[in-house]
Amino acid sequence: MSIKIRNEIIKTDFLIVGGGSAGMQAAIAAGEKGIDVVIAEKADTRRSGSGANGNDHFACYIPECHGDDFELVIRQIDMTMDGGPFQDPTMLRLWVSRSFEVVQKWEAIGINMRPTGKWNFEGHSVPGNQRYHLKYDGTNQKMALTKEAKAKGVKIMNKMVVNELLLDQGRVVGAIGIDISDTQPEVVIFQAKAVLLATGGASRLYPGITPQYMFNDCGCPANTGAGHAMALRAGVKLANLDMAAGHAGPRYFARGGKGTWIGLTSDINGTCITPYQDKPSRENGDIASDIWPGSYRDRMQCGQGPTYMNCTQTTDEDLDYMLHTAMVSEGIDSITDQLAQRNIDLRKEMIEFGSYNIGIGSQGVDIDTHAMSNVPGIFAAGSVGNVKGSLAGAVVIGMVAGESAADYVKTVDEVSVENHPLIAEKIAFYSEILERESGAHWKEAGATLQNIMNDYAGANVRSESLFAAGLAYLATLKEESLKHLYATNSHEFMRVLETLDLMEVGEALMIMARNRKETRGMHKRVDYTYTNLLLNGKFQTIQRVGDEVKLEFRSPF
Amino acid sequence: MPPIINKKKCVSCGYCAQICPVDVIKMEHKEAVVKYPDECWHCRACEKDCPKNAITMRYPLSHLMLNMKPLGGK
Ligand SMILES: Cc1cc2nc3c(=O)[nH]c(=O)nc-3n(C[C@H](O)[C@H](O)[C@H](O)COP(=O)(O)OP(=O)(O)OC[C@H]3O[C@@H](n4cnc5c(N)ncnc54)[C@H](O)[C@@H]3O)c2cc1C
Ligand code: SF4
Ligand code: SF4
Repeated sequence: MSIKIRNEIIKTDFLIVGGGSAGMQAAIAAGEKGIDVVIAEKADTRRSGSGANGNDHFACYIPECHGDDFELVIRQIDMTMDGGPFQDPTMLRLWVSRSFEVVQKWEAIGINMRPTGKWNFEGHSVPGNQRYHLKYDGTNQKMALTKEAKAKGVKIMNKMVVNELLLDQGRVVGAIGIDISDTQPEVVIFQAKAVLLATGGASRLYPGITPQYMFNDCGCPANTGAGHAMALRAGVKLANLDMAAGHAGPRYFARGGKGTWIGLTSDINGTCITPYQDKPSRENGDIASDIWPGSYRDRMQCGQGPTYMNCTQTTDEDLDYMLHTAMVSEGIDSITDQLAQRNIDLRKEMIEFGSYNIGIGSQGVDIDTHAMSNVPGIFAAGSVGNVKGSLAGAVVIGMVAGESAADYVKTVDEVSVENHPLIAEKIAFYSEILERESGAHWKEAGATLQNIMNDYAGANVRSESLFAAGLAYLATLKEESLKHLYATNSHEFMRVLETLDLMEVGEALMIMARNRKETRGMHKRVDYTYTNLLLNGKFQTIQRVGDEVKLEFRSPF
Repeated sequence: MPPIINKKKCVSCGYCAQICPVDVIKMEHKEAVVKYPDECWHCRACEKDCPKNAITMRYPLSHLMLNMKPLGGK
């Protein structure tokens, strides 16, 4: 198969790569400021990304509910899963301070932010603290955001995979996309003054709970670190990849949204094993899995497992609410459906929970308070290196990116990308893959990548010799993949590009982990078993400068 | 085959293929086909959005949730 090439160059002020939650909010904010905006989304913005079917917790600060003591609010949010280390304090303050603004905007476009009629906070909460996770109904959020973006004049290009950024004199001037709507892929060139990377995290980098089924993942499996990989190739600084950790949830059905369960983390006897509560609490949820998502793995490995989500003491009313309201709002009612199809009664049966493998979420581009990276015109939101906050962090920073980009594009001239040398180079590379009549299927390379990541940069043991070998094996895998990967249609071609992106993200993660000569969290080095106090609060960054890789530990701001 | 399309109900509108977040369903010869079942995220978007309610979900045994009665009696 050959690759088609679209003659017309798409020209815009602001290209948004990834129409997930962050990308949509950025588009709306930029559209409101009157600049020309194009969203390139590989799926369809109405149902794409980790919020495709909804979310149900929106971390936010509402002064009329939480009072005026902002420092107290910050301290308490910092204790939840949306705080903690590896988030710049200024960035935490930024998204928290503007979170209510987005909540109000969402309510105005028809997302049900008050299903009970009042501001109601539930789950992910530390007993004794105020609760900050607004319990809303996100079932229509992507539809509503899409409608609003269109109303603001934003152009949405669905089925458009962006694969490369175009730079000129050290700043971004465009990007290369691939339209996968037809069987034959088509290259589409974008000319843009600013680009937002909002492609979500990187699923599928490590083997999941069912390695044979790579898409059984708690995050959206379409998020494969494309923004991270493009950023690396463009000389953008990324932060904290080495500190990537994992989520937790039911086994063997990987679902996000553990905070929606109302039950107790229990052992096989049904005895609660955490100190946070002795009765299931609809108000607080069970914060155990937020604080220590690795606990299920740890307990399994030391012989204390398995560990269960035990809803046998949850009231009928709360169970009904959890299964038929909360899980629907959260977009995880495939759990409800599987339970119903199998006649599993949670009043009698517990569900085993497991620690999911390492996945890239709050690690990525290192941004400033304008959501801009070190490369002028390249913005990032969502899965970035120095902001947490899950959905709220993603959408507030998305909004900031949209506003900042609207200002930035007024300060730079358009640069023609027509003859950009990278375009011909990339087309030749794409053609090579597509013209091969036989070769390696993407899954072969994907499986080996996951094995290498797990065995040489995994959650159990890390060491210099493992990293040295792992990096060498990754280089071999990449070389072989570039020689042999092939695709017979646009779908497979997209998967090939995703796999190659993941390799680059994996390599950067491993280089950073090798350079972190200490043990911290899930980064367990057998050759450096202590935690180096001098690195407390420090963020490691990686940047490619020509053929060199620059690593730094920076102070937080 | 995670989503199951009831051919009697399906009117080949293509919406499920358009909105699947991971490109599992394809229109082939004007028919919606679950082309890449191994890549299904089991998100139910296709099922919920199908205007004809032609889709039901099947959860493969690979994605079995592990259930257990507490051994301690409660
Ligand atoms: C089931 C579930 C429930 C959750 N519940 C909550 C919750 O209640 N509260 C909470 O705070 N968080 C929750 N989260 C997390 C939350 O959904 C994410 O933090 C949030 O969606 C991140 O937004 P994002 O824009 O960074 O990524 P996403 O919304 O995932 O968007 C990324 C987008 O980029 C697109 N894309 C990827 N690569 C490319 C490419 N190369 N070219 C073009 N497009 C591309 C993807 O298709 C996708 O649309 C949940 C996650 C899941 C999976
Ligand atoms: S959305 Fe429903 S009716 Fe339309 S093609 Fe899919 S299955 Fe058929
Ligand atoms: S359940 Fe979700 S991932 Fe699976 S085919 Fe339907 S829309 Fe696609």
